[in-house]
Amino acid sequence: MPTIYETISSTLLWAVLASLIVAVPGLAIAYLLARREFLGKKVLSTFTTLPLVLPPTAVGYLLLRLFADDGWLGRERIGFDLDIILSWKAVVIACSIMSFPIFVRTARVAFEEVNPRLERMGRTLGMGRQKVFLSITLPLASRGLIAATLLGFTRALGEFGATIILAGNIPGRTQTLASALFSAQQSGNEALANQLLGVALLVGFIAVYTTERLASKRSSRKEQAG
Amino acid sequence: MNEVETIFNISLKARFGDLKLDLEYKGSKHVLGVFGVSGAGKTTFLECLAGLRKVMSGQIAVAGEIWLDTETNCFVRTEKRYVGYVPQDHLLFPHKNVRGNLEAGKARAVESGPDFQSVLKKVVAVLELEPLLDRSIDQLSGGERQRVSLGRALCSGPKLLLLDEPLASLDLPLRRKILPFLIRTKEAFELPMVVVSHNPTELQVLCDEVLILENGRNVMVGSPNELFTSDSLFEVAKQHGFENVFSGAIIEKSDQVDRLSLSGKDGEISIQIPATDALVGDRVLASIGSDNVLIGLEQPRGLSARNCLSATISRIENAGTRWLVHSVVADAVSDFVVEVTSDAIEALQLESGARIYLVFKTSSVSTLTG
Repeated sequence: MPTIYETISSTLLWAVLASLIVAVPGLAIAYLLARREFLGKKVLSTFTTLPLVLPPTAVGYLLLRLFADDGWLGRERIGFDLDIILSWKAVVIACSIMSFPIFVRTARVAFEEVNPRLERMGRTLGMGRQKVFLSITLPLASRGLIAATLLGFTRALGEFGATIILAGNIPGRTQTLASALFSAQQSGNEALANQLLGVALLVGFIAVYTTERLASKRSSRKEQAG
Repeated sequence: MNEVETIFNISLKARFGDLKLDLEYKGSKHVLGVFGVSGAGKTTFLECLAGLRKVMSGQIAVAGEIWLDTETNCFVRTEKRYVGYVPQDHLLFPHKNVRGNLEAGKARAVESGPDFQSVLKKVVAVLELEPLLDRSIDQLSGGERQRVSLGRALCSGPKLLLLDEPLASLDLPLRRKILPFLIRTKEAFELPMVVVSHNPTELQVLCDEVLILENGRNVMVGSPNELFTSDSLFEVAKQHGFENVFSGAIIEKSDQVDRLSLSGKDGEISIQIPATDALVGDRVLASIGSDNVLIGLEQPRGLSARNCLSATISRIENAGTRWLVHSVVADAVSDFVVEVTSDAIEALQLESGARIYLVFKTSSVSTLTG
């Protein structure tokens, strides 16, 4: 049996990995949704939000179908085995998919809060689009983007439904904080369940509290800038 | 004689929502003013010049460089147009301090030639920004923000400066403080400028030529004084604060009044104005409303009004419901406009070439700077 520390540290590691995986495409999609008008924008926005409203088990099942031997990314289709199902990679993938919507939605709001006229000002000062993004948009949206990352991270940390279907609940291999708590409760190990609950509460509180602080600083800066 | 260089060669056709922009302008004056009421398309025009809006058809060439020509599919992007844009609401970057804002356009300034540090030094000196450099934006007052915004544009190596209602967001006392900085900018940097304003006095002070915009079309072009006293525009201009504006040097000071020399030669022609903070020798702009001046055929005696200038009528024009007497006080002094009724013209038999005396009280003169 893995110790509680091992469970917590691997859960944290997987959540960090999931946050990193989400960050790049998440930023790009959030920026597109916040700043550009294009055909299919609403469809893209709906697709990125879907995992938030679907039952997590449905998302897990969908992923299972996707990575199954006969699935679109299965061995028979692509010619080799990605070895995803029931592995730590499955945990990271399930967590990424489930935290993607909350990251994109929060990051989109962060980008939308940046006054586009400031970006245009940057262009009149000789900055190309890339430089405007890096030296104006990104720093001005940074607090909101950190909040998005934190919320995405906590969502990944607490993921259960999709993970348990795609990765299972194998102690020492794919067991996360959430699935360990489930197992402890099911097997009547109240002491362990309580400890895991304490950890979940602590991490969740820190993340949400930090997000709140960032949000309040952001709104006060917005008032000053206005 | 050298051929006069064309600075602005603009022809634009565009539609933005309800606004249809359709104008042509070609001019060789350095500072172009754009006057019009709200919704006339002034800001949109500036944004087209800056390349921030797509134009359906047209050409823009400034100081010999073509920025837009829809016939040849030429469109120079905003960042390559070398414009310094000063928006009405300053739009400083809140995540940078004053120095950071001034250096925001450094990369382009370096590219455009002059040594950036010396430009920065000059801008800081002209706009008196030294004490503000390390401050964050939220520590600045409205007038300071406007100066920093102007400084930021000047530090980016611009070839054209666009000022959008540079004083509109400021209250009256602050406008008086900021206007001299705009005049200094004009004199120190000698850049082509386009100044948008709905205040005739600002345009009189800053611009060599003014373009009148009405529903996106340029209906008139001319010198500010000529336009604002014209039949069709005088009423509107007066409503927005048209006054006779004079530039002069303080030659004498006392507790309550200053004496302002209007003509260059030893204060030969001078007027008394309310006391200012300016020192002897300082240049000051003064203004007086066209309805605050009396016309006399003889030099009046026994009046409390302290100012009496001898002048010659250059022309008399009808402007809506009023008559405007244009008179010349001296070569170096700009045209002096006085509003009179048709009765007065008849009674005094005023006509072009007649010699008159312009009489006004010290207290009806206001100073625009100092």
